[in-house]
Amino acid sequence: MRGTVLGPVWAWLLAFVGLPAIVLAVIALAQPADGVPPYELGAGFDDLATVFTDPYYRDAFLASLRVSAICSALCLLIGYPMALAIARSAPARRPLLLLLVMLPFWTGFLLRVAAWVGLLRDDGWINAALLALGVIDAPLPLLHTDGAMIVGIVYAYLPFMVLPLEARLARADPALEQAAADLGAPPWRVFLRVTWPLSLPGVAAGLVLVFVPVMGEYVIPELLGGPGSMTMGRVIWTELFDNHDWPMAASLALVLTGLLLLPALALRAAPPNRA
Amino acid sequence: MRRSRFLGGCLIAAYGFLYGPIALLVLTSFNDSRLTTVWTGFSPRWFIALAGNDALIDAALLSLRIAALAATGATVIGGLAGVALARLGRFRGRGLFAGLLAAPLVLPDLLIGLALLLLFVATQQVVGFPERGAGTIVVAHVTASLAYVAVVVEARLAGGGEVLEQAAMDLGATPLVAFRRVTLPLLAPALVSGWLLAFTLSLDDVVIASLVSGPGASTLPMVVFSSLRLGATPELNALATAILAVTAAGLLLAWFVQRRRFGAGR
Amino acid sequence: MLRRGIGRSERFRSPARMVGSGRIAIGGSMRFRTRLGVALSLLAFLAVLPLRAPAATEARVVNVYNWSDYIDPEALKRFERETGIRVQYDVYDSLETLEGKLLAGHSGYDVIVPTAQPTLARLIKSGGVQKLDRAKLPHFAGLDPDLMKRVSGADPGNLYGAIYLWGSTGLGIDPRKIAALAPDARLDSWDLLFDPANAKRIAPCGITMMDSAIDVIPTVLHILGKSPDSTDPADLAAVEARLRAIRPYIRNFDNGGAIEEMASGAACLVFDYSGDVIQAKARAEEARQGVTLRYVAPREGAQLSFDMLAIPKDAPHPTEALAFIDFILTPDVMAGITNKVSYPNAVPASRKMVREEIADDPGIYPSAAALAGFFTVGPVAPAAERARGRMWARFKAGQ
Repeated sequence: MRGTVLGPVWAWLLAFVGLPAIVLAVIALAQPADGVPPYELGAGFDDLATVFTDPYYRDAFLASLRVSAICSALCLLIGYPMALAIARSAPARRPLLLLLVMLPFWTGFLLRVAAWVGLLRDDGWINAALLALGVIDAPLPLLHTDGAMIVGIVYAYLPFMVLPLEARLARADPALEQAAADLGAPPWRVFLRVTWPLSLPGVAAGLVLVFVPVMGEYVIPELLGGPGSMTMGRVIWTELFDNHDWPMAASLALVLTGLLLLPALALRAAPPNRA
Repeated sequence: MRRSRFLGGCLIAAYGFLYGPIALLVLTSFNDSRLTTVWTGFSPRWFIALAGNDALIDAALLSLRIAALAATGATVIGGLAGVALARLGRFRGRGLFAGLLAAPLVLPDLLIGLALLLLFVATQQVVGFPERGAGTIVVAHVTASLAYVAVVVEARLAGGGEVLEQAAMDLGATPLVAFRRVTLPLLAPALVSGWLLAFTLSLDDVVIASLVSGPGASTLPMVVFSSLRLGATPELNALATAILAVTAAGLLLAWFVQRRRFGAGR
Repeated sequence: MLRRGIGRSERFRSPARMVGSGRIAIGGSMRFRTRLGVALSLLAFLAVLPLRAPAATEARVVNVYNWSDYIDPEALKRFERETGIRVQYDVYDSLETLEGKLLAGHSGYDVIVPTAQPTLARLIKSGGVQKLDRAKLPHFAGLDPDLMKRVSGADPGNLYGAIYLWGSTGLGIDPRKIAALAPDARLDSWDLLFDPANAKRIAPCGITMMDSAIDVIPTVLHILGKSPDSTDPADLAAVEARLRAIRPYIRNFDNGGAIEEMASGAACLVFDYSGDVIQAKARAEEARQGVTLRYVAPREGAQLSFDMLAIPKDAPHPTEALAFIDFILTPDVMAGITNKVSYPNAVPASRKMVREEIADDPGIYPSAAALAGFFTVGPVAPAAERARGRMWARFKAGQ
């Protein structure tokens, strides 16, 4: 039984995650060169060293962390009430509500990002509305800013927070909340002491699903963000495609992986059964 | 349970946030003018142009096929992974297992795509296949979305349910039967969530698909991103509206069927 | 990952659970079964990856990889009809995507359309493209020798590429709006943008600069009277100073999105490719919102860029690739393409078949005098490229 559960997963992981990881490590140690592919195999650690010592990369990393944190927090703020409302609604209605959450995303996020561009541009809907209302005299530069990027990211990643959270909240035994209420606790207390703690695995799942990928996000910062809007994804893209420095890009990737993977690994290594 | 009006209000506001830009998209797709924000009249011309745009239609169909395949693959493998992590306790190589699983979550799409590309190229040099195309995109998408399904499944299982499984086994069920009869139904919502997540990821992916695809395998996001970079054509808005209409219709159908089956209301 | 379980006593564990946790081996070794599972799964997965039929049994096909919206679809259909070779046509939106694919090797493409500098030059250097067999390209001789000479900086001896379409990098202007804000400024000079006094006056109606260090920096070097290929740090500092002076007046940096900005009237002065401005002009005319646009190649000299037809080294169908290239280079096909996308081509014999409004537009087909003042750039060493990139990032961020 174990074999059937673990076997296929091991096979896939080793072939398509393990092997490419080794390839990546090999390239990180290589030297950039003219050729197809543009590197020379070798054992050079200078790229890895540069990643740690050059302030440009350190600042980029911190900026990226900041973006991820803000976006995750916003997703949680908006997504939690959504998930809670859906989880508490009639079971017959829940699939519909969930699909309504997913439906926008089936139109493709690129096109919805384009819609945001139309909203935020100098001659876009928001500025047109504000101008018409007389609130402002000249168009506000809303597009190509950190704010636009954050809005776009939150917009795109919301379901990654809502779905796992809802799945977890739906599991929660309503009797527990009812018991607390019956014992005289006001609704906010019920939430704080019963609902929230029970939902934490879902919150954690949602946060991981938002925080981590946003670090490596490229497309949304590219379309909505400003020149200074930094994510590690953008930095790595620049190294890869603008500087044609594959070893450096691979080194950045390895360092990023390590930094983000270590805490996750530590938590996972502990078995689930704890009294 | 008393439904909170505050929550209901939040939900409606959130849906408003989600659907606002979409409504704009739909509106713009009927705009006679090429320019997004300048309305010159109501016109279906972009839909007509879309019907004749083979490249977009082919890309859309290809994307749907790839997404369905990738989502199913990811749900199967990711689901198994989630079960393994939640139920199999300490097993040999668990640390490595978890690490490999989490890696695509952590690595930017760009590097998943690049690393897989290099793997495919090297493999092709040695054994003559795979040719890069739709198949390699499916493989890449499964790999990228595995972890998402696993996380959702694990979160679902981790909170409990072992009691039920244990009870089943104490009553004489083998682990396999307990899995099928207790765990799987417990998992069902998580699996559905996971499938939908993986499907969306695949449908939305630009970077990985661009890197590992080959001639003739242009996905819709690839085509759309290209067009966006060079100034969006209104045909894309028409496509978005069309997809929205189709999925909304499918959704309504599913909802009616469900109401019929389970009765209205509760 | 945080997990909370409903509290359970560890002491009571059913026999079935013990099996599950691997403490008791039942029915053969667990390890063996896991390994068997792994092996079978691997085989199953490998079966999923599609195998292409060997090329010999396939109908003839040519895989073309070109910029978006950069061809006349009629030309492709005609090619298929006349030669029986099926065209698999894919598009890309950025040179980076193209280079990334090609530098990885085995892209699967037969014909690509890289820009001469930096992409084709880089591909030549890294061995990513193959020499064109002139014997199979009779229409190669129809290419304008002067333009081919210009491009030989990137492709010495013109061995690897044939010019497809070309253009320059200059200013897209809305003459009416600019005349209203800065009536005395010369519209055909770089000073319109790079003189801070002018930039300040024009800023309110929207100034956009293309987000491309490799296009802007050589031009500024040229304006400052230096070589556009200079990597001297002092020269770079001079460029930075010149750019900083106008930074406050630049509203936006864009790539391709500038077309819609111009066409909708959001920007009235843009540093952009000739082709982009021409397209924006067409859209503005179609929109009839009173936006008039013109492309200007400033008299101090604009940078030339060429998009070249080339064949990757590992192209699976080189013969078909050559047939395709030769077909494209025939004058009437070339004229059809120019008519469709409004970019000039390099086949003089096609000029008479090009629509009047395109052939006579000095923004598209510059005069010989103007052309003489245009310049091309050479390759930049990686270290210098990095320095330029950093400077550009600083400039954009406004630091």
